[in-house]
Amino acid sequence: MSFWVNSLSAGIVLGTPLAYAALGELIAERAGVMNLGVEGMMLIGAVVGFIVTLSTHSAVAGFAAAIASGAALASLHAVMTIGLRVNQIVMGLTLTILGGGLSAYIGTGSSGRRPEVNILAIPIPGLSSIPVLGKVLFTHDVFAYAVPFIALAIWLLLYRSKFGLWLRAAGEQPGAADASGVPVFLIRYLAVIAGGGFAGLAGAYFSVVYTRGWAEGMTNGRGWIAIALVIFGSWNPIAVLVGALLFGFVDGLNFQFQSVGVPVSTHLLAMMPYVFTLVVLVATWTRMRHRHVGMPEGLGLPYEREAR
Amino acid sequence: MAISLHLERRMGAPIAMRIAVPILAVAGGLVTGAIVMALGGHDPLEAYNDMWQGSLGSTDGLQSTLIRATPLVLTGLAVATALRVGLWNIGGEGQLIVGAIAATGVGLYAKALPGPALLVAMILAGCAGGAVWAAIAAIPRALIGLNEIIVTLFMNYIAILFMDNLIFGPWGDPKAFGFAYSRALPDNATLPLIPGTGVHIGLLLAVLVAVSAWWLMERTPWGFSVRVAGGNPRTAEYLGLKIGRRMVIVLAISGAIAGLAGAIELTGVTNRLQEGISVNYGYTGVLIAFLARGRLLGVVLAAFLFAALVVGSYALQTTGVAQPIATIIQALIIVFLLAGDAALAFRVRFVRNPTMPGALAGRGL
Repeated sequence: MSFWVNSLSAGIVLGTPLAYAALGELIAERAGVMNLGVEGMMLIGAVVGFIVTLSTHSAVAGFAAAIASGAALASLHAVMTIGLRVNQIVMGLTLTILGGGLSAYIGTGSSGRRPEVNILAIPIPGLSSIPVLGKVLFTHDVFAYAVPFIALAIWLLLYRSKFGLWLRAAGEQPGAADASGVPVFLIRYLAVIAGGGFAGLAGAYFSVVYTRGWAEGMTNGRGWIAIALVIFGSWNPIAVLVGALLFGFVDGLNFQFQSVGVPVSTHLLAMMPYVFTLVVLVATWTRMRHRHVGMPEGLGLPYEREAR
Repeated sequence: MAISLHLERRMGAPIAMRIAVPILAVAGGLVTGAIVMALGGHDPLEAYNDMWQGSLGSTDGLQSTLIRATPLVLTGLAVATALRVGLWNIGGEGQLIVGAIAATGVGLYAKALPGPALLVAMILAGCAGGAVWAAIAAIPRALIGLNEIIVTLFMNYIAILFMDNLIFGPWGDPKAFGFAYSRALPDNATLPLIPGTGVHIGLLLAVLVAVSAWWLMERTPWGFSVRVAGGNPRTAEYLGLKIGRRMVIVLAISGAIAGLAGAIELTGVTNRLQEGISVNYGYTGVLIAFLARGRLLGVVLAAFLFAALVVGSYALQTTGVAQPIATIIQALIIVFLLAGDAALAFRVRFVRNPTMPGALAGRGL
């Protein structure tokens, strides 16, 4: 029993950064821009958040800096893909490598250090003492508590606001949107930069909250899992959140299996999130390949007003 | 009278401009890299001088650069080859590692093979390992159209963990005391050196493979059919070409090339399977293929340049500049290249009357 309670609880902790990163990517993709640089933006967020927290002793400053650094890297993607109409795949891959390099460069000498600040889990009085469910759901940090509300807010923004309608229009039919007065370029810029902020936050969550330390390449492909989650969740924020928690759970199982002494190599157990992602992607894609449910029609295509 | 800035596509840039862009991009990457170093309080000129001495400016450095360029030629070529059929092979890292694993397996379990036969068997096993690993990623793309970028990428992480499982487990050196490497390979599993140099013959092998791959893709009917399938799938379908089959075969070839890089690193450099047998070679190969614009000679030149940057960066310790600056410069070069190519694809026009339709403005009216 305690094994499953611990696994589910760990799943929420590990699912939280995945959810932030995936929701950020979702915003950019709904506006029509694919940013494959999530991993790089997370890595830069991880190192900047870590170092700023270390030097200012303030996690708030650390997270603010991490969000800004992710957004800064994303704005390079925006200028290149929206302004200069560079291929989004090529630029995204380059961004991943640039972010990884910058992160390793800035962080050189920082591994092994530990911030004094500790983002403590805050058990919610009353609720946390509910048997089983209390431990699983109500003994986490503020970021984990906030994530369902943020997913809901993004859903409301997309489907219940004029701005959301514009954003979806910019992603589905940029030409038609532009013709009817929607500021397509502005919206795409904002969406990509916001997505970068989310990725930066997710990275800092790893270095400041989860492991409380920095190591080169520490996100280990979680940025790519976030991209896969957007597909898995059919570009719907609520489904993406559910997917992130499910993947967090699978990710966390690895450590739970180790702690109860399952006689399987730790390296093979660590493969689980990647193998699971692949299997789920194949299954999802088989189901939706003829309909491409939810995929924005203009995704990946630069918008050229002159070619309208 | 209002003047507005107007972008319009142009049909083809002058050849001189197309050649100038990569050169300017390299310069842009180096200058921006210097700014990054200066921001950290380092002297970029001193740093670049150290990098030059450590890479191209000394015999030892030049040899290290050539050794380093060998896997990069192959991983760059792997990416460029897959692009011919329209696929993104981001899995060079994993295919290289699986190639090295397969070659190690032969080295450890078939060590009775005499003389150079062992070496040949190991290299072939490396190619086969990389080919299988890449083909696995191509199958979901060919059958259901699942994007190969994410699949090849996740296979990298799986390959690394698979290698870790072997070197910390059954293949681990009992004398390693927890260090991450396999048992040593037999003496005849070492690549010979090019006579008179300190560079192993893997370099020649890499160039030979590069020329063969170029010939296969550019000079054979099959290679042409692959490029049709990649460049214009609708035409290919109309012609009755089996696109899916070509995808799997080409990605397998691409993986075999990356797997060869793994076997060469194993037999030419590390002589054991070990963590860090690939130092981001697969990912660097993606950047190399971009810089080379997928061309063979370009891949060789770009691999040499990127190898010099990395080898030079190891000579930076005295100046205090952190080694990952090499990766930053490499990525920045590509950013400038992409920006330059975008500038070539469009002509900037200042249009005096912004209400004039773009089509008319394009005719110079």
